[in-house]
Amino acid sequence: MVSITVENLVKRFGNVVAVNKVNLKIKEGEFFTLLGPSGCGKTTFLRTIAGLELPDEGRILFDDQDVTELPPHKRDTGMVFQNYALWPHMNVYENIAYGLKIRKLSKQEIDRRVKEVLKLVKLEGLEKRTPHQLSGGQQQRVALARAIVLNPRVLLFDEPLSNLDAKLRIEMRAELRRIQKELNITTIYVTHDQEEAMSISDRMAVMNRGRVMQVGTPREVYKSPENEFVARFIGQGTFLPGTVEEVNEYLLVKLDVDLEVKARPSKPGITFNPGERVLVMIRPESFTLSEPEGEYNEFEVEVFHTSFLGNSQLLQGYYKGEKFLVEVDPDLDVPSGKKLRVYVKPELTMAIKL
Amino acid sequence: MGSLWRKIKWEVDALTVIQLTIVLVTFAAFMIVPLSMIVVRSFYTSEGFSLKWFTSILSDPYYFPLRLKFSQHFPFVWIEGIRGNLFDVIEYTDPSGKLVKIIYLKGWDFGVLVNSLVVAASTTALSTALGFTLAFIFAKYRFPGSEALRVLSMIPLLSTPFVGAIGLKKMIVADGVLNILFHDVLGLLPFKIEITGLPAVIIVQTLLFYPIVMINAYTALISIDPSLEEQAMNVGASGFKLFRTITLPLATPGIEAGALLVFILALEDLGTPIVFKGTTAEKVLTFQIFSKMFTPAGLISEEATTLALILLVISSLVFISIRKYVSLKRYAMLGKGGIWRPRRRKLSMKVTILVYAFTITVLFFATLPHIGVTLLAFAKEWGPTIIPEEFTLNNFLAVLSGEEARRSILNSVVYSSIATAFMVVLGVSAAYLVSRKKGLPGMEALDLLVTLPIAVPGIAVATGLFLTYLGTPLSPTISGAPLLIASYTVRKIPFTVRAVFSGLEQTDKTLDEVAWTVGASKTRTFFGIIMPLILLNIIAGGMLSFIYSMSEVSTSIVVGDANHADAPMTWKMYDMLFHGLTGGTFQPAAMGFILMSLQFLFIVGANLILRKRATALISL
Repeated sequence: MVSITVENLVKRFGNVVAVNKVNLKIKEGEFFTLLGPSGCGKTTFLRTIAGLELPDEGRILFDDQDVTELPPHKRDTGMVFQNYALWPHMNVYENIAYGLKIRKLSKQEIDRRVKEVLKLVKLEGLEKRTPHQLSGGQQQRVALARAIVLNPRVLLFDEPLSNLDAKLRIEMRAELRRIQKELNITTIYVTHDQEEAMSISDRMAVMNRGRVMQVGTPREVYKSPENEFVARFIGQGTFLPGTVEEVNEYLLVKLDVDLEVKARPSKPGITFNPGERVLVMIRPESFTLSEPEGEYNEFEVEVFHTSFLGNSQLLQGYYKGEKFLVEVDPDLDVPSGKKLRVYVKPELTMAIKL
Repeated sequence: MGSLWRKIKWEVDALTVIQLTIVLVTFAAFMIVPLSMIVVRSFYTSEGFSLKWFTSILSDPYYFPLRLKFSQHFPFVWIEGIRGNLFDVIEYTDPSGKLVKIIYLKGWDFGVLVNSLVVAASTTALSTALGFTLAFIFAKYRFPGSEALRVLSMIPLLSTPFVGAIGLKKMIVADGVLNILFHDVLGLLPFKIEITGLPAVIIVQTLLFYPIVMINAYTALISIDPSLEEQAMNVGASGFKLFRTITLPLATPGIEAGALLVFILALEDLGTPIVFKGTTAEKVLTFQIFSKMFTPAGLISEEATTLALILLVISSLVFISIRKYVSLKRYAMLGKGGIWRPRRRKLSMKVTILVYAFTITVLFFATLPHIGVTLLAFAKEWGPTIIPEEFTLNNFLAVLSGEEARRSILNSVVYSSIATAFMVVLGVSAAYLVSRKKGLPGMEALDLLVTLPIAVPGIAVATGLFLTYLGTPLSPTISGAPLLIASYTVRKIPFTVRAVFSGLEQTDKTLDEVAWTVGASKTRTFFGIIMPLILLNIIAGGMLSFIYSMSEVSTSIVVGDANHADAPMTWKMYDMLFHGLTGGTFQPAAMGFILMSLQFLFIVGANLILRKRATALISL
């Protein structure tokens, strides 16, 4: 179990800067996720950690050991690839045992460890199957078993669940999380699925165009987005541009739609000055249909579309050309065209620095 | 610079160094140095650097008779120096008093240099027309037996040196089978036709090489996403317009690749001109180099090296244009990945009959050499009849009991086997480097180097090997074995490289990477993971390399001539056929039949192993 420190990491492919001056510190035993749209550099970053790519600049440390130029087979990492990468000419047992054989363990020891890990990933009895005789979910488990059987210092996942169907994906999330916590191996997990990232991680980094946009717990990233990219990429919201008028306990923001609202800085510590342009963001679930206690902001929205989501209902509406997303009770009947008065507390109204 | 060095250090390990070294050393010793020797010898004379040999060739009307003539009258400018007539007509009265008219199709003579280009261009044009038409029929239409006909139309890929062409010659001479059939027996023709000289070379080559265009064009046509054509039909294109504006442009890169390959093969073909020697067929570059290679004192003549250099330059330019220009345009292959069923139309009864008539006629002519060889191999005598009157196995028995013939077969098997072992080791190394070390500078050049032998004329390699190694311990006068093995290795390695490369490209790189992450070194991964995964490709590539080594002509006959005891099978066939010692045509035909059968088994075997990937072997 190690901590991973990444300093000023840069990786270029021709003129494209895939990873651009990334600094991160991942703690021992942490489940750390890299989240971002495709092409943001998250997979490249993971591959430099595994030793599959040589970074152009910067350093990677496992605890105090500089592994930047250490070849992959000496890094003691376990990696699970998106396509599983099971060796088709070996059966399940041989796939898992390969790394142990390289370490020249005794036959009994190999047997014991393979059996143990098969039990952990719930694949007992499938030792003799070849990869193409397995379902996608089973292949996934073999790939995981092959990575963890070596008890590596670091576990790396490259979008491991993206080839599974929706239901299995949710099951496997919980499973991965359980196994990781049981083994307590420092883990880096790459995904473009924000829901997956939120549900599985201890902490996460949101990436865009090779840069880390924000690092934090899922709660922090959702509730206190540091910038517009993170605010828009994580979850949904109503976005209203405006200008700061006064800075008091709350910010007084004059919206471009000619309304004044009270808002708080999206993340504690961010300061604003009067006259500064900001983006006001409100999460759909922050709205209420009745006046809350204390201070509040108020909007009148014309509903044009409703989507029923089972446990909730999402209204889309407009106010002076700005789009609003409002979550309401699923049983509420709101016909299109209806004007609806919605309220939100200032502490749930976030001002994002532009 | 520092960062480049860091990158190289990262990519290179012990295995890379070994692989790169063995490939480069082999190619340097048996391809680069010999070819450089040709260049050096063509420019350096006793007085130092000189263009003497080039000017003497260009001013010799035998090589280059063409001169521009200007005048004040229309057409103001024309070319002088073309000799001969396209055809001659000879009439005579046969012993029975019947008047016989023979038309000799001989072709013009433009001098050696232009003849070579004219032959290669004509063969390319005819092969492309024939190959593309067949490919289009097989790719776009469905009719009973179409798949069988398609497979049969690839038979010319089984090419036996000399004997195939001799089998065909037997068909097209004045007293040949076709004239007997159509003139004497059926009386359909009022005259006999004999095709000879350069036209005969063109026809034989066309029948040998059209499958290369056909396979490339067929692959291109069936790789066109049918939705592209459907989309065009949706907006109103149909019939010929659809063909001209959508189908043909999409298939063009494939057709061009095949056509240019045919151009190179026609240009470097030595076997066919030898078969028609005694006619203008001799006046092509390959034959001239072959026949003028040695001075009376037994040294390599500068005339030959200069001609070899000219041949080498032309074929290299064509090869580079395939690699640079054609591969850039491979948009037809930019599919979306999915699997589709090619659009195939059913044909009406009438058109079906036309299609059958066409394909079966082509097949008939294309298989004539093979039918000819087979008949000759089993014939006791073959007089002026359509098929021999009596069949026998004696030719085979004579070959197998004849000391020299049997030894030559054994020599060929031994040399080709050893060469195949080398080709597998070198070919797997080269393919691995090209496929997996793309980050390393120079890997594209390596790819070019190991596929280049396709474009290097065998006679140029033979000339270069002699220039380099005469008088050294590897001298062919001491033993033919080392140079023959080396020559087979460098000349036929592209088959192994291509087969292995296509296997590697279809083996996901993550399979290597995951092995590294579990602790396997790159060397261990190469032997433990990659090799087993591409084993079938290695076997198939090795099989093809082996069989094409067995039927190699150029170096075999040149080196074989230097030392008869070590000579391979193709030299023995050449010797029997043209130096008229024992066995006449029948024993070489028997050897040709053996070779053809082996080729059939190996090519079919390799294709079964590679299945769909097989096309990678005859396209570049």
